Amino acid sequence: MSAREDMLAAIRRALPRERDPQDIAATAEALALESIESRPRLPNSDLAEAFAARLVSDKVVGASVDRVARLEDAPAAVRRYCAVHGLDPTLVLQPDPDLQKLNWSGFTISASIGGDETLAVARARWAIAETGTLVFHSSPESPTLLSFLPLHHICIIDRAKILAHLEDYANAERSAPAPRNVNLITGASGTADIEGALVRGAHGPAFLHAIIVG
Amino acid sequence: MSLVGADRFKSRAAAALADANLKLAIDRTTRTARAKREAAVADWPGFSKARDLGRRIKDHVIENLDHYLVEFERNAVASGAIVHYAASAGEACEIVIRICREADAQTITRSKSMLGEEIGLPHALDAAGLTRIETDLAEHIVQLSNDRPSHIIWPALHHTREDIAALFREHHHTPQNSDDVAGMVASARRQLRAGFLGADVGISGANFLIADSGAICTVTNEGNAELTTTIPRVHIVTAGIEKLVPSLTHAFILLRLLVRSATGADITQYTTFHCGPKRTGDRDGPEAFHIVLVDNGRTRMLAEGLGEMLRCLRCGACMNHCVVYNEIGGHAYGGVYPGPMGAVLTPVLDGLEKSRDLAHACTLNGRCQEVCPVDIPLPAMLRGWRDKSWAQGLEPNTQRGMIGLWAFAAARPDLYRFGTRLAMRAVRLFANGGWIEKLPLAAGWTRYRDFPKPAARTFFEQYQAQKRRPNA
Repeated sequence: MSAREDMLAAIRRALPRERDPQDIAATAEALALESIESRPRLPNSDLAEAFAARLVSDKVVGASVDRVARLEDAPAAVRRYCAVHGLDPTLVLQPDPDLQKLNWSGFTISASIGGDETLAVARARWAIAETGTLVFHSSPESPTLLSFLPLHHICIIDRAKILAHLEDYANAERSAPAPRNVNLITGASGTADIEGALVRGAHGPAFLHAIIVG
Repeated sequence: MSLVGADRFKSRAAAALADANLKLAIDRTTRTARAKREAAVADWPGFSKARDLGRRIKDHVIENLDHYLVEFERNAVASGAIVHYAASAGEACEIVIRICREADAQTITRSKSMLGEEIGLPHALDAAGLTRIETDLAEHIVQLSNDRPSHIIWPALHHTREDIAALFREHHHTPQNSDDVAGMVASARRQLRAGFLGADVGISGANFLIADSGAICTVTNEGNAELTTTIPRVHIVTAGIEKLVPSLTHAFILLRLLVRSATGADITQYTTFHCGPKRTGDRDGPEAFHIVLVDNGRTRMLAEGLGEMLRCLRCGACMNHCVVYNEIGGHAYGGVYPGPMGAVLTPVLDGLEKSRDLAHACTLNGRCQEVCPVDIPLPAMLRGWRDKSWAQGLEPNTQRGMIGLWAFAAARPDLYRFGTRLAMRAVRLFANGGWIEKLPLAAGWTRYRDFPKPAARTFFEQYQAQKRRPNA
């Protein structure tokens, strides 16, 4: 590990003073808390309203939103979405126990995801109103690729899991161990790599649809 | 890289200035970028407070870099990652190639990373005989056209949409049948999907290294980073050590600044934190997760008073707003990083002797620092390189001689006033109306714009005349 020792030694030569790790942690914590003073204000104190408005604003690419009263109503909302977009009722369903328990009769359900799927339905762990972001944690019940391979990505989110700001997500998960992947997803895939012109559906989904429950 | 050369900068810049198509391509992208950034900043009342906070967070990390490096390593190892250290670009490439060989990899997908460009990884992978697939749309364009990135956010900015349409028609299996941008993007999606699914190793950079969890953060709008890092058996991260932040919250504070400054959006479509390899029961994810932490001059910058440059988030705002970059584009700079931040970094990476012209190719208008999301004093740092170049005797003898002559005269007021009086009167002889179209010894100026006709009397003469008038 000599490259490691050399690097640390070079840093310590350039930064001659010793600092107490507790002081460093205290300074870092104080800096983190300061963001309350500058973070963007939300247009609406109702987080579900603010999140929904943000998703359909021109700040978010290729997203739409629907609202249902109960999780049991989600399959009907998915059916509505398929009708609007002229899609066959064939989908990949996230292996989440609560989603699997719903009545998906009339749909052809696939459990594993292939390279070229049309539609995936998944439950997000959190949403963030500030940016219109849906948050997924990878786990056996929540494969990462479900959010990236299909053309249409439908995300179900409980109203109670909508947070105000990015920092609120960090605080909500502060004591939990970090999952392998945290995916913050804001709208559909896009690119501005050709002359800065924004085009949706670069590599990931071209459509993102959020269903807010509650 | 060997592309840098003092005399060659001038010839590259001259060639770029003569290329009208390049100017059109640069203008189409940077004009949009400037307008969108301005709107995003205007829309956020807390921007200047956040900018100051972001600067202090970066400074805090740099002041305690050893502490955060050790903390990050401890947590990354605990998550199952394998952490490597590379002192130089060459060492970093060797480590990556060794991991690829040990994994018996044939095909490698890569998600755009400026650190990867800095260490010459694309070239090293090709030279090692590995099949490299660039997945970022712009890097894909650069790979197909066999040239180099010219901007750190839009690497293919030097290509017009017409160029790219022709390129895709030549290389794609099922190219677009129209020249609209959406058709081209769809063609690239079809072309690259199979590459994603068949890769053995995925390589990404990192926008942040989160010390308290050992996670690394990638940001993209395309979703190519996630497809690059989730599907293959092995994920390799190459990252500069200045990317450390204490925690997720600090990363979010800097993300707000980074994305608005880069593209004018409030957040990228995909912001992903990757922490270790596939876990028990996971249906996807890499079996091995390697992180290569790269120095490549960073600890030297710390020792040589260039620590402020380690704040850089690689947003590209400085080049979008630079009058020089907008005229000559990225390739003329010769290094990996163009624009103002590149003019500061290239002498560190390639040596001052070869790149001293970059610090001179600057009007010092200060716009780069104004738009920098972490307030890096780029103009002062460029002046610092000019001073060093002078002190090290790198400036050419003719220039040293002329400045010596000027210094001799400037220290002798009568001689200086006589000289300027004479020069002004001589220059006025070339004027036609208020302007001078051609001036001996100043062809470099008058080729591109007229020179204003000087006043009839020097400033000092006018000043003396004013003083003599009692009630003026």
